[in-house]
Amino acid sequence: MPHTSELADSHLLKKDHLKGFLRKLAKEYRLVAPVRNRHSDVLFTVIDDLDAAEIELNEPPQNSLKQFFLPQQERLYTYTTSPEGYDFQPIPTSIPPTVYFGVHPCDLSAVLYMDVVFSRRQRDPFYLRRRQGSVLIGINCNSPAPKCFCNATGSGPFIEMGSDLQLTDLGDRFLVEAGRTSGHGLIERWQGFFAAATDKDRAARYQAFLEARGRFSRQVHVEQAIRRLEADAVPDEVFAELSLRCQDCGGCAYLCPTCTCFTISDQPLDAISGQRLRSWDACTFAGFTAMAGGHNPVQAKTEAIRQRFTHKLRDDVRLTGRPSCVGCGRCVGICFGGTDIVRFVERACQGSL
Amino acid sequence: MPQPITDIYLPRQAKVEQIIVENSQISTFVLAFSDHTYNNAFRHQPGQFMMVSMPHCGEAPISISSTPTRPGAIHLSVRRAGKLTAAMHGLRTGDTIGLRGPYGRPFPMEQLQKKDLLFVAGGIGLAPLRGVINGCLDQRDQFGTLTVLYGSRTPSDIAFQSDLGLWKKQGVDCRLTVDAAEPGWDGAVGLVTSLLDDLKPNVNQSTTLVCGPPLMFRAVLGRLASMGFSDHQVLTTMERHMKCGVGICRHCHMDGKMACADGPVFSLAELRQLKIMELDG
Repeated sequence: MPHTSELADSHLLKKDHLKGFLRKLAKEYRLVAPVRNRHSDVLFTVIDDLDAAEIELNEPPQNSLKQFFLPQQERLYTYTTSPEGYDFQPIPTSIPPTVYFGVHPCDLSAVLYMDVVFSRRQRDPFYLRRRQGSVLIGINCNSPAPKCFCNATGSGPFIEMGSDLQLTDLGDRFLVEAGRTSGHGLIERWQGFFAAATDKDRAARYQAFLEARGRFSRQVHVEQAIRRLEADAVPDEVFAELSLRCQDCGGCAYLCPTCTCFTISDQPLDAISGQRLRSWDACTFAGFTAMAGGHNPVQAKTEAIRQRFTHKLRDDVRLTGRPSCVGCGRCVGICFGGTDIVRFVERACQGSL
Repeated sequence: MPQPITDIYLPRQAKVEQIIVENSQISTFVLAFSDHTYNNAFRHQPGQFMMVSMPHCGEAPISISSTPTRPGAIHLSVRRAGKLTAAMHGLRTGDTIGLRGPYGRPFPMEQLQKKDLLFVAGGIGLAPLRGVINGCLDQRDQFGTLTVLYGSRTPSDIAFQSDLGLWKKQGVDCRLTVDAAEPGWDGAVGLVTSLLDDLKPNVNQSTTLVCGPPLMFRAVLGRLASMGFSDHQVLTTMERHMKCGVGICRHCHMDGKMACADGPVFSLAELRQLKIMELDG
């Protein structure tokens, strides 16, 4: 339970000291944080000028960290073809060590999930080279947004593991808990910014957790949907109905912090050279499973929609013990067909069980 | 320092050493990696596949049709189906392609030892079984009787003719059928299931390896069940669209399993646990 946090080593950081701490970090790391831009949108952004950046820690960012570890499109290789041979050349890339600051528990959980996807069966070099030099500084959610349901997916509003440092907003100060070795290292390195936390601070954190838990405005019965999927008790009509409303736009998959399906394709540059690209894909796209010659073993749109929700709420629970929906609610906001995961959970839970 | 990570997506150059034209749509490409050391050390197991790169065409999974008991060359038997395979059919001896692999769960050869093996294939479906059959022949005393039932559309579509000839000479019971006869054909006409009607296998001693188009597959499964084969005695290999080949990209999803990494070889008992079109129609 959150009051006996596994991140037991706790410190205090006054809010007045935050910019100073980040300034130190920015000297050694590329800094990425949720920033409110001139259109008033909050997005995880690479911060070049810390003084000019308006870091926003309370409003959930529109994007997740996915694009930083799995870019929407990345070049894997260039290739050349000639009578002498057909060769692939790796792209020389140096990924700067990066601090991701102000990461909400849903998005932290998503990174932990991606770590599994990209290292369980095979170690994916393009993901891991971005992930390996990264430091995650999380912030617990005191005020979940109306779209949020991370309480139902077990990924918030507070998180006990996964980050290097975990912050909780206590008004004029942050309680800072050090997770991994690198988190301890950061505090030791810049200990001038930190004071020792007292039992009173830790009690305030627990109080904040209890209040946050009471602030969710929607009840999403994810556990029940998981049980019904596992029991094969979700009627086919539910998938059929949702598939009729899906417009095949892929917005849910692109915004989802855990949707990691990708495609690999060649882009010719001229007759004898080109580049191999890896791009985001979506299992709901009509051509996702189509084979050469046109045969498609996943024939109906219904089956593609079934795959989307069954993967997140049944297959990944079997694999990791928890769903790969992290309750961030982004797909709810983007889906104009009403085919989002909350709608699925509601329809799946109608009836008995 | 983080440890270096193998670049699993990097194709290696391989040279076309020979092209065997099997029929108007299927050719077998005999390939060797340009890097001789790598080529000599390369090993695979029957039922595994390679990811093939062709210039400007991306990649596609192609099952290995050669046997691991004859290392040094990789055989890929390819039916002209889409852009990449059409480009392969334009290859000439000496040309180079890109290869990475081998990938996937192979046929469980140790479990097949001492068993009578019944191979049932249609069209290009004989390609992944070819490596198993030649492997069995190279270790003949380790397996029981070998029977090959092979269906083709017409007599001129019969692929792997030189293999079929060699297998017959080595005592394999090879039986062919075609959907439609042509002048001069005096063999069987009809579905490959009809060839099963004439067989009297020792079912308890046997394992069946089936590979072919979904319609044929379902028909064969029904016939095998009525002959007394249990779902554990039927093995097959699945065909799916794939991008990564290593269980990450999910294009080959099969109700929670990945054809590339959990398969492509499955027992029928395993497939029965899944909702897939090959069984549901």
